[in-house]
Formats: sequence, structure tokens, C-alpha cells
Amino acid sequence: MDSLKYDHIVVRYGELSTKGKNRKEFTKMLTHNIKRRLKDYDKLTYNTLHDGLFIKLNDEDYSSIKKDLQDVFGYSYFSGAVRVKKDIEEVKNESLLLTKNHNAKTFKVATKRHDKQFPMSSDEINRAIAGNILHNSDLRVDVHNPDLMIYVSVDKDFIYVMDEKIRGNGGYPTGVNGMAMLMMSGGIDSPVAGYMTMKRGLKIECIHFASQPYTSKQALDKVLALARILSVYQEEILVHVIPFTDLQLAIYKNVDEPYCITIMRRMMYRIADEICKKRKIKVITNGESIGQVASQTPESISVIGKTADTLILRPLSMMDKLEIIDIAKKIDTYETSILPYEDCCTIFAPKSPITKPKEDKCIYYESLFNYNELVRNCIDNDEIIKVSYRDGGSENESLF
Amino acid sequence: MKVYLDNVSTTSLSQEVRKTYEELLEEYYCNSDALYDDGVAIYNMQEKSRKLISNLLNVNSEEVIFTSGASEANSLAIKGLCLKHPDKKHLITSYYEHSSVYNSFKQLEEEFGFEVTYLKPDTDGHITIDKVKEALRDDTLLVSIMKVNNEIGAINDVEAIAEYIKKHPGTYFHSDITQAIGKIDIDLHNIDLASFSAHKIHGLKGSGALIRKRHVELLPLISGGQQEFSIRGGTSNSLVNIVLAKTLRIALENKEKYHDQLNEMHDVLVDGLKDIATINYDSGIKTLINISTSIQSEVLLNALNKYGIMVSSKSTCGSRKNELNRTLSSLNIDENYAIRVSFDYTNTKEELNYFIDSLKEILDKYG
Repeated sequence: MDSLKYDHIVVRYGELSTKGKNRKEFTKMLTHNIKRRLKDYDKLTYNTLHDGLFIKLNDEDYSSIKKDLQDVFGYSYFSGAVRVKKDIEEVKNESLLLTKNHNAKTFKVATKRHDKQFPMSSDEINRAIAGNILHNSDLRVDVHNPDLMIYVSVDKDFIYVMDEKIRGNGGYPTGVNGMAMLMMSGGIDSPVAGYMTMKRGLKIECIHFASQPYTSKQALDKVLALARILSVYQEEILVHVIPFTDLQLAIYKNVDEPYCITIMRRMMYRIADEICKKRKIKVITNGESIGQVASQTPESISVIGKTADTLILRPLSMMDKLEIIDIAKKIDTYETSILPYEDCCTIFAPKSPITKPKEDKCIYYESLFNYNELVRNCIDNDEIIKVSYRDGGSENESLF
Repeated sequence: MKVYLDNVSTTSLSQEVRKTYEELLEEYYCNSDALYDDGVAIYNMQEKSRKLISNLLNVNSEEVIFTSGASEANSLAIKGLCLKHPDKKHLITSYYEHSSVYNSFKQLEEEFGFEVTYLKPDTDGHITIDKVKEALRDDTLLVSIMKVNNEIGAINDVEAIAEYIKKHPGTYFHSDITQAIGKIDIDLHNIDLASFSAHKIHGLKGSGALIRKRHVELLPLISGGQQEFSIRGGTSNSLVNIVLAKTLRIALENKEKYHDQLNEMHDVLVDGLKDIATINYDSGIKTLINISTSIQSEVLLNALNKYGIMVSSKSTCGSRKNELNRTLSSLNIDENYAIRVSFDYTNTKEELNYFIDSLKEILDKYG
């Protein structure tokens, strides 16, 4: 039953609360991100306070907002709420009304006092509300497994009565920890890495290495579609499309086959590193996971990563493929990721790539051709495409 | 004045759908499986349509197979399933299914050695779960029961039947939902296979879909390439498939939008008819009423035709055959006198009143 008429949404900060001095900056970013995500609901009004963010619904549709709000990182939970004056009789009445909206047989009241000056203790409030419900309905109290939880929050100016707590995705408000460059292939892993990076408060841009005509336009479209899905967490994403073909061909011409992937990955890091520096991005992130393929053994990751100065974070490095797939399904990138288009890694894949590459051998192979110029060309011809979930991924909306 | 009261047979084309289709026809002609940009563009639109349809029906997008309509979808579901699983030989359907279902079963029975139990509706016009339970055997491969009957409008609780069949190992459940879609809610959760047509919901003729759940294997009836997950070969009728999403979206929106209006129109019709005709069946969908008068249906049809009123006497797909009507005979309705009146939101109360008045005049004259 969801017919209860909420007039507010109460958002609580959670992990943020631990962040002493930065707290203000964090709550500001959180409010900003929530406003951005909910900007279609133009009647909402916001009040950011020390203990939480209070959103007045002004008749906007809560059930739809409830879904969208879960795309924002950095709060502990939120609730649809009915706001009442700081008067225990009003709280009792509203709580009783709330029970009528549920088919519950048992209930429990949990009060939290953010305003410590309120004359009644949490326990007294619980008893007052429960007593009133017991007198005026057939409901019973069950403190262990109640059908209905009634949450009462005593705040600075008002009291909020709630019947649910929606846990968000946790993390930090995206953007509060700066920027990261996500290396995105189009597979299952990189979008998940992007999601986890954004969750830790880093706003992302994506870099994709395109090897047309060896890879198709669909392969690029797929990357853009994935970025579009991820953009829901930060509104829009810039995708750097790097024309990689010439460099890749040079690698395959000059390097012994087992080392091709290693050298190719080193080049990718070089390019990503340069673009990060150019754009003042502090972190490179990607979907590398220990042992998954030849280029992701500890030896490979180590040798490959040496070509970038920028901090490289690999959020999936210690995760199993199935755990990664679970997240990909949860964030709705899986179905797109498994579309069968070749990416630059699969198309030139050597038959037996080296799993324990040596750095001096890499340096030797790289001395065989003038890669600097080719890398420079890649960087100079970086095509930046902006995508957003709000674009719907199609100019053909009217057809449907 | 022309009054179209045969919306169960087919419907007029939605202007929005027509416009979109014409725009597409102007611009696109490539094969949706071609790898160049223009082909890919069509492919993407078609897949978007598939995705939207799947969202509207609460299924997965790879569970939507575009077909040329419900008859093909029914044939593919029934014959495709049975020919793929020839080891189990028993099938159950009802006596009053649409001819595309009924004749698929007949064919399996007569040509391929399957054994078919045909269930008769009860006196209320329903195929009940109890009848299905009674007929079910260990070697039953398929049960197919329509959601809404196309001649009397009776609504079957196929969701309950599907839920029961789900627990019966090795038995699949198919439902022809052609007459239900856009009219009543359908929950496809436990239904393995479901078919519908676009032209019954103001879409294009030659368009429809089979919903086939992921676990159901079918033998393709049209051999061909990779189209429709290799289940239905032939170059995709992409532009038609693209507009099916819009057709279905509008139909489902209008189901809500016109719900009250259609109920009122139903009452106008029943009130107007109850003194001049026998109402054979009126406990199904609101937009279909089966009646009889003192005049033989063929004569009445001709007389109404003179007034510009279009109704039918039995299922249009059997209108030129002289077989015993399966639906009406199951319910002991004399098919020689029965006519089917079906309206929808494109009709008006004035039209219904005109029909009632015209019928009165005809009955006065020839009745």
C-alpha cells in the first residue's frame, strides 16, 4: 500500500557525518546532486540542515521521485515523510492515520531525537504513539518482526512521521573527491568500475580507444550507450574517443606477437595519462581485475601501469567476475555490455599473449618504432562526445 | 452515416501510427541486418521498439518476437513448440479458440499424431482451471487457452491456469491475448507463450508479436536467417515492427483513459437493447455484446448494412465457411440468430443510439 500522502522527503547523510571539517562541502554537493537528478520535478523545495536534507514535495509524485533519488550517492537513507508541528498530540494522530494505510497486524515505533531539547525522551514518545494506536485500532505491538515500522524523527523545527527507510547506494556525493578518467572498452567490467568510482565521490570522464575500420560504429555506439547509462549518477559524461588504429597497426608491425597486448595497453595508459594531465584529472580508473586475462596478471598490470604518472585505481582488481556481473546487472549495463561487437582488445588478440612481461623487453620493443608521434596524434585527435541519459539515446523519440 | 461496430474483427488505423509509418516509409528502405549505417539505424529503431514493447508487457526484450500478426504468432507458438518436443504427445486447448489456434491443434492431431483434449466452456462461457486440471496428464506438453473469447467476450482467468501449469513439470502454457490487449489487464508472469496482433488495437495489418519466454524452445516455421533470434526467418518487416511499440503504448494508455467512457457506452447499449433483443452474453469485456433477435442474423446483417451499420454474425475469420460455430454452439446459442456488436473509444454514444434506433426500425419492419 503506497497511498499514504507524504508531504516531505527526509534525506539523512550517513557516512558523510563522519567527515568533520569537509562536511559542509559534502552536504552542499549532495544537495546539488539531488537537485540535479530531480530537476524535472520543478515544484520541489529544498532545505539543507545539519541533520539532513528536507525536501518539500508540493504535490510532486513521490513514487517516481523515490526511484530517481536512488541514483544519487552520498546519503545513508531517505524516507517519504509527513511533517507535523512539534506537538505530541499531532504526532499521535498522524501515526494513527498512517496505520490506516497499511494492512499491518503488528507495528513498532522508533523515535529518533535530533533535537535533544525536546521535552519527551524517545522512549516516552514511542510509548505515547504506541498507546494511542493500541487504543484506537486492532494492531498489536511486535518489537521483533513488525509488519509496520513507524519512524518518528524529532528535528529542529518539526517532527517527521515515516513508514519506510530507503537505503541508498551509500558512498560520497559524486564530484566531492574530484575527477577520474575511466578507461572504457565496452565490456562488462569498465562500466562497473565507473560506477564504483563515482560512488566514491569521483566524477568521471571516459576514454575509449577506437580502431575503425577494424571495429565497427556499433562498437562505439555501445560505448556511448554505456556511458549514457552511467551518466544518471552525474548528469552527463564526456567520452574521449581516441583514433587508435594507426598506433595499433604500428604495434602489430613492430612488436613480437606475445607482447602486442602488453605494449598496446602501455600505449593506452600513456595516452590516458596525457589527457588527464591536460584536463587536470587526478585519477585513472578502469576495470582491470587480477588474473582475468593475460594483461591483468600482477606482472602485466605492474609493467603496463608504469607508463602513467597519474594515480591508477582499479576498483575491480580484487573482485570475481560473477560479483562484477551482479553489479553490472544491478546498474543495468550488463545487457548492453554483452552485445557482440568487437573492441580494440579482442580484434587484435594474439594467440598466446605473454602473462609475465618484462619491462626491459617492453622498452626494447618500444624502441623499434617512433611511437611518440603516433601517441601525439591520438591525443591531438581526441574526439570528445558528451552524453546524457536525458537524451534518451535517440533522436527518434517521436517514432515511439 | 457509417457506424463501425465490428472492432473485434479489426480496427481503424490510428492517425498517429499512420503518420509515423508514412514518415518511416519516406526515409528508410535498408535491410535492418545490413552492417552499414543506414541498416544499423533501422536495426536500432526496431530493437528500441522491441525494448519498449517488452517494458509495456513486463517481459524481457529478447522475449518479444515480431510476427505478421496473431495467427502467425499462434501457429508459431503451438506448432513450433510441439514439433520441437515431439516426445510428449498430449495437448489441451478449448473448443472456442480462434481458428488459428484451433486449426493448429487440428493439424497436430491429424497430421502429426498428437492427442488433443478440447475443453468446452462452462455455462458462463469460461474455461475454468478445474477443467484444465481434470484434463492434465503427465505427458501433457501444452495447454492453450485464450484470455478473451473473440465472439462472446468471455474473460478467462488464464493467470491462475498459468500459475498452476507452472508447477506441472514439462507442460507449457500459451494464451492468445489478442482480444484482451488494450482492453483488460494481463499478467504474463507465468505465461510461457502469448500472441497478439496490431490491427485489433488500431495498428497495422500484418503486424503482431509472439511473447516467448526465454526457457521456451520453438522449432522455426519459417526457415531463414538470424532474424528474430533465428526463430522467424525472413527479412524483417522493420518499419512495421518499429511502429508496433507506439501502437501498443497508445492502446494501453487509452485503456485507462477511456475506461469510464466505455463503461458508460456499454450501459447505453445494453439499456437500449434489452427490450428488443436477447442478450446472449454480457459478462465479459465491456466493449463486446452478443445478441439475438427475431430475425436471422444474415438478414439482419444485410438490413443493418443498408443503414451503414457494420456488425458481424460470427467470427470474421469463419464468416465465409459453413461450419458449425464452435463458440456459440458450446454455449447453446443459436448461431443463426446471433450477432456480435463491438465498439471502442472511436465510437460515440450517438452512434450506439443510431444503431439501437435502426435496429428497432428493422425489427418493426421484418421482425
